[in-house]
Amino acid sequence: MKLEQLLAEVQEANLSNLLLAQSLIRADREQALYRLGISEETANLLTSMTPTQVVRAARTNTLLFQFRPDEAVFTLLTGSRQEASNDTVSRMHAAILQAGRHQEAA
Amino acid sequence: MKTRTKSLVQEAHQVERAVQLIKMGARIQLLSSTTQLPYERLVRIYKEVMGKSPSKGQLPFSTDWFLSWQENAHSSLFLNVHEYLNKTAAMEEVDTFIKAYRLYLEHVQLLEVDPVLSVTRAWRLVQFVDNGMLTMTACSDCGGHFVTYPHEIAKHYVCGLCNPPARAGHGGGNALRREKKALAVAAMA
Repeated sequence: MKLEQLLAEVQEANLSNLLLAQSLIRADREQALYRLGISEETANLLTSMTPTQVVRAARTNTLLFQFRPDEAVFTLLTGSRQEASNDTVSRMHAAILQAGRHQEAA
Repeated sequence: MKTRTKSLVQEAHQVERAVQLIKMGARIQLLSSTTQLPYERLVRIYKEVMGKSPSKGQLPFSTDWFLSWQENAHSSLFLNVHEYLNKTAAMEEVDTFIKAYRLYLEHVQLLEVDPVLSVTRAWRLVQFVDNGMLTMTACSDCGGHFVTYPHEIAKHYVCGLCNPPARAGHGGGNALRREKKALAVAAMA
């Protein structure tokens, strides 16, 4: 894929992620903190953004939302651990680990 | 006779919460410990929502239940979510509980398994942790936090998902635990 196309996709992803984040927070604030892995302060910042500000913020060459799972969670999500003979079990394991990662958000 | 000095708005919140909890399968004991509504009122609301009378009788919940393999996984998932909400959002306890349980149900739905942890058991779990009869310990293997008895030695603790017992899913975890505990006690004698 050409670089221009990739950069355009980065901006599109930023835009849709920002809008999604705003929708989630407005639908149920506390649950959104969990789903997005953010703090109350960050949630306030996000919902305070006007559509113009959202468009402006999205226009960058880096992704605004980062990949959250750390190595442990990632291994379980992709089912590459030996013990993960069962897909459901390793996905539940991943969910438990991810849910416990609240240090960043607090 | 008690004078009703509560605000109507507050009472409306209480009724709303009761309705939400009943829809999630709450039994009367849970409703009476999470709302200030009188028993008769709760029974009436229950009948309205469920279309039948609430089942009577005490619910004998022991801490052991939460340690069996499958139950432990579900309980740990719920409790992690609950703690997450506790630490990040400022809400009244019962609202934290309701939102946490809802998120647990979502998880379980996406995993395509049945919710092993009922809303009433989830509430008992929160109470057990509050009064120190149960706690969470980090697994020395995966680092995840799981429901355990208090005073579990973190260095040695391995969760049931990293180290599934032979008869996992059939209460094997619990029996294995008791055996290990008995051996440990015997060794110290």
